[in-house]
Amino acid sequence: MNAIELVSLTKTFHRRGSAPVRAVVDLSLSIPRGQIFGFLGPNGAGKTTTIKMMCGVVIPDAGSVKLLGHDVQRDRSAAMRQFGTVLEGARTVYWRLSAMENLMYFGRLKGVRDRYLKPRADRLLKELDLWERRNDDVREFSRGMQQKVAISAALMSDPPIVLLDEPTLGLDVESAQTVREWVSRLAKEENKTVLLTTHQLAMAQELCDRVAIINEGRLIADRSVDELLSLFRRDYYTIRVGGLFNGQGSLPEGLTLEPGDSETTISGDIADQDSLHQVLRCLREEGLPILSVQRAAPSLEHIFMDLLNEDRK
Amino acid sequence: MIAVPLVLYNEIRKTFIITWNYRVDLAIQFLTLVLFFVFISFFIGSGTIKSEGLPAVLLGYLIWLYAVMAISNMSTSLSGEASVGTLEQIYMSPVPAWMVIVGWVVANFLQHTVIVALLGVILVMILPVTLPLELAALPPFVLTMIGLIGFGYAIGGLTLVYKQVSSVSSLLTNVLLFLNGSLLPVHHFPAWLETIAVFLPTTQGIIVLRRVVVDGASLTAVWQDGSMVFLAIQSFVFLVVGWILFNVGERVAKQRGTLGQY
Ligand SMILES: Nc1ncnc2c1ncn2[C@@H]1O[C@H](COP(=O)(O)OP(=O)(O)O)[C@@H](O)[C@H]1O
Ligand SMILES: [Mg+2]
Repeated sequence: MNAIELVSLTKTFHRRGSAPVRAVVDLSLSIPRGQIFGFLGPNGAGKTTTIKMMCGVVIPDAGSVKLLGHDVQRDRSAAMRQFGTVLEGARTVYWRLSAMENLMYFGRLKGVRDRYLKPRADRLLKELDLWERRNDDVREFSRGMQQKVAISAALMSDPPIVLLDEPTLGLDVESAQTVREWVSRLAKEENKTVLLTTHQLAMAQELCDRVAIINEGRLIADRSVDELLSLFRRDYYTIRVGGLFNGQGSLPEGLTLEPGDSETTISGDIADQDSLHQVLRCLREEGLPILSVQRAAPSLEHIFMDLLNEDRK
Repeated sequence: MIAVPLVLYNEIRKTFIITWNYRVDLAIQFLTLVLFFVFISFFIGSGTIKSEGLPAVLLGYLIWLYAVMAISNMSTSLSGEASVGTLEQIYMSPVPAWMVIVGWVVANFLQHTVIVALLGVILVMILPVTLPLELAALPPFVLTMIGLIGFGYAIGGLTLVYKQVSSVSSLLTNVLLFLNGSLLPVHHFPAWLETIAVFLPTTQGIIVLRRVVVDGASLTAVWQDGSMVFLAIQSFVFLVVGWILFNVGERVAKQRGTLGQY
């Protein structure tokens, strides 16, 4: 059974005085257990709306959400026990309660008894370096510490699924790093399914097993990070040879030559291995030593921009 | 289901801790309430404080305070939770939100009962007025509270949809002080106003409670003259309508995606 199953999820917002907004359009996704799933997209793409429909706080116009087999609309109570979430926004916990009181509160809200909650709260507070300040009001904390409390609160009921909407937005570098490391540990050690939204590609690349890219409410890609990277791998090579090379005519078209003092750099698209070998043979025939051959690694950033540009056409 | 008592305890605990944070404000509000009633007494006695008629007014005043609590609390709590970003979390409990909110209602009732009791004791000490504690007052009191809770849920449903209900609800609670008959019994009103007044929360409760506490009527008497029956029916209707309105408001907010907005 999949941890998260979205079937044809659709939501249009109607606001008086403005055109309807198609926030999410016919979105289907299956996420197996234990996966860290990145939900990427520019601002206004529909990420938050999708998460809120998964949490049951926004009712979809059509389609359904199942969390470990429990339909969020029809089997609400059981579905609510399957996940913990931190929605976007700077304030998601009680500023007037201490860190400890917040954790206990959000645990009980999910229906978990104190005797299970206390050890869990202790552990989470210690792991996130909040232990010393557990009895201080959250309003006295830095933004980074508040976000740690919010994430811990979402984990208090030890839910199999964790939904995080822009979890590192507005955090300083160090706290963002802690949150990332923590999310990655969670999935590995506690075998949790994590869905996180972000528009920071580096984070998705570092953390996620799989990413989906959403734009204007529609899914435009859904692949493993590796697949996505290799799919869009540009066959762009940079070859450095010793000495001066001027046999351009013998090379395939499209490569550029850049003569240097004692070496030459040849770069450009080389479609496949055969062509690459052909280029190398050609250089060898000239009797030039090959100093290095490098293939440019595409970043998710490039892929993302490419996909969006294609989608907008 | 074990989750329900746990969640109720959770809300009561949270409300108490947060109230304790605001204890200084609360003390000032309390003083205001004492002074306010002293002024009312002067006003009623045309410049002097007369004990005649005062118990009836004090009783009305205390019940009105419960109305203020029920109405303003529901709207300020809901919009407060929305602005703190925790309202959506409450909607992710396995326990339905209206049930979670029963915890707020109970916590508030307990807090206000302490305040009202203290206020009653102080006013009885400083003013020439007494209010006998009649056990017979309990049934009409409970019925009045049930009606109020229903009314509170109705306000809650409106708050979920229209967000800025706080100003309207504070207007409503102020108007209620004059319309529910706590200062001037409603039978002194013009007939049309009396008809409106009787359908407002606490009006009928105050009528029945005055008969029992101030006039010393028995429960059988107020039952037989129909005033208690009317109170019971009215409270039940408030409760059902309030619950329905709350659920409708909730659904509209979820459909519009505005549950967490404020
Ligand atoms: N409650 C709402 N009412 C009207 N429009 C909304 C509402 N919530 C979101 N939207 C609109 O829906 C679109 C998607 O928003 P959102 O899901 O928040 O995107 P993201 O999280 O990817 O930035 C945006 O155009 C946004 O303005
Ligand atoms: Mg968003």
